[in-house]
Amino acid sequence: MKHVIIGNGIAGVSAAEAIRELDAKAAITMIGDETFPPYSRPMISSVLEGSQPHSKLPIRPKGFYNDLSIEPCLGQRATAIDILGHRVVLADGSTVGYDRLLIAAGADPRPVNATGLELQNIFYMRTEAHSAAQVAALPGATKAVVLGGGLVGFKAAYGLLRRGLQVTMLITSGYPLSMQVDPVAGQMIMDEMSRYGLTVEVGVSVTGFTGSGKVAAVETDDGRSLPCDLVIIGKGVLPCRDFIPRGQIAVDLGVVVNEFMQTSAANIYAAGDVAELIDLARGRRWVNALWPEAASQGRVAGYNMAGRQVAYPGSLSRNVMRVFELDVLTLGDANPGDTSGYEIVQSGGPTSNIYRRLVIKENRLIGAVFINEIEQGGILRALIENQVPLRLPATKMVRRGFNFGQLV
Amino acid sequence: MNQVVVHPERCVGCMQCMLACATAHSQSGTLFGATLEQPLPKSRIHVGAGRFNEGFPNRCRHCDPAPCQAACLAGAINRVANTGTVMINPDRCINCASCAMACPYGVIRFHEDPLGPPNRQIAVKCDNCSSRVVRGLIPACVEVCKTGTLTWETVDDAMRRKNREVSRAMSSGGPGQPAVPDGVALLKTIKQAELEIGER
Repeated sequence: MKHVIIGNGIAGVSAAEAIRELDAKAAITMIGDETFPPYSRPMISSVLEGSQPHSKLPIRPKGFYNDLSIEPCLGQRATAIDILGHRVVLADGSTVGYDRLLIAAGADPRPVNATGLELQNIFYMRTEAHSAAQVAALPGATKAVVLGGGLVGFKAAYGLLRRGLQVTMLITSGYPLSMQVDPVAGQMIMDEMSRYGLTVEVGVSVTGFTGSGKVAAVETDDGRSLPCDLVIIGKGVLPCRDFIPRGQIAVDLGVVVNEFMQTSAANIYAAGDVAELIDLARGRRWVNALWPEAASQGRVAGYNMAGRQVAYPGSLSRNVMRVFELDVLTLGDANPGDTSGYEIVQSGGPTSNIYRRLVIKENRLIGAVFINEIEQGGILRALIENQVPLRLPATKMVRRGFNFGQLV
Repeated sequence: MNQVVVHPERCVGCMQCMLACATAHSQSGTLFGATLEQPLPKSRIHVGAGRFNEGFPNRCRHCDPAPCQAACLAGAINRVANTGTVMINPDRCINCASCAMACPYGVIRFHEDPLGPPNRQIAVKCDNCSSRVVRGLIPACVEVCKTGTLTWETVDDAMRRKNREVSRAMSSGGPGQPAVPDGVALLKTIKQAELEIGER
């Protein structure tokens, strides 16, 4: 049996480990764009912030590929899949044959449509190489602009503030983290960041970058020019799906998979940021491009590829972010646009510095936002994932003393 | 293999386990010394109030597989092979709280730990008193528990004993034996009644 895995992020790495756990002999080839040893992608924001050194990023031993008898094929991307010929085509034209294929190609930063992108000191925030380049550009930099008010944008802005830069965040939407949290939590997060010097401008887009060699200013769609010497683009990610034959493998925003992580094509699986599967909170297909999701999905895909049928009930958005004195935890569908049919229970708010919001549908928890005192968040995650009817009134679950014992 | 087994129905909420745990994870190892330490040692077992204000001792279950281990971004959580204890490496932990999001029991806390790196907050949870057990001691919370809520035994033994207790309590042949000591049962009844009267 020959397994081929496209992608050496955490989904691909977890899948390879799962295959090896069940099958000591099967051949495994991993195709990866990045040549750095398997590392923790979310930790790159800690590198920018300066709380962790770049050398701490690897989360597998140096001999990972060798130890697990994996043939690494690194430094280039897959450019096509020849489904009839059972092979993957690489950038240099060579091919790799497979019996079972996992697409764990991940996602790329969502590009911005602006002029002057070739200038120096304009960075995306996705890979260890990006974080190394960002850190190298810090000496001498004083004014930064961050594009995007999602999680990546916020982590970038937080890191730059911690490094002592003046940071302006430009957001196209109405308030920061609008995909993750409700307006109350969004305001609390923005207030905290503003208290530490962040300038946030909403409803603004960038049209271009100017400067000679290095970026010197950002041009906005309302005709202004904001001086800066460093830019980080954090406008989310898009699944890497260019190389996937659309007619032969079902692709929506991501590669569509069933509960066994199988795509619509025989013997081809997908997992991680590239995969689109049922979201437990939303009840429909969704791409949850999140590290812990990728790790779990990769492992399940690996088991299925190795012949042990394991179902993955669905994915769940979840995130935790620590900015200055604020801990923010979001779970599931925390901010449904139309709230009819939902029960929403909130407690606390900006004045108490603690905020809790639960989103309930048909007596089942489907989303939550916690600001500060987030230690019990995992209990709520389990309630959402297990889709169990609530036995405790939600008003008690938003109290500060809520604990596991109250559910027993 | 012995492990800490929790029998929550016996807990009276005295919190002596919390004091003992904090002391066991202090630099001095004594209660009075611990109160003077900086940072102040904190308990890794958490007695919370249940639905009827009864005590509920909550500690790490050392799950297998452990969701916190799978979710750890920094690769800081591992399982000790011979004891099954799930451990957090304080020097690899980046205090990101991803484990808090993963733990279905809510038993991980974030603070500076007397035994961890100085001036840095990290994730802290029960370590099964590994450093006491290698010295031939039993975990501090069990040693100090007065009501039999926390025991140090094999799970099989605990199950067998529990089964016997319940069988005897249900026995129709005689007066039966209460599964929970009379005093504990009385205390819980009073707490529950108090709460119900208050909510009326």
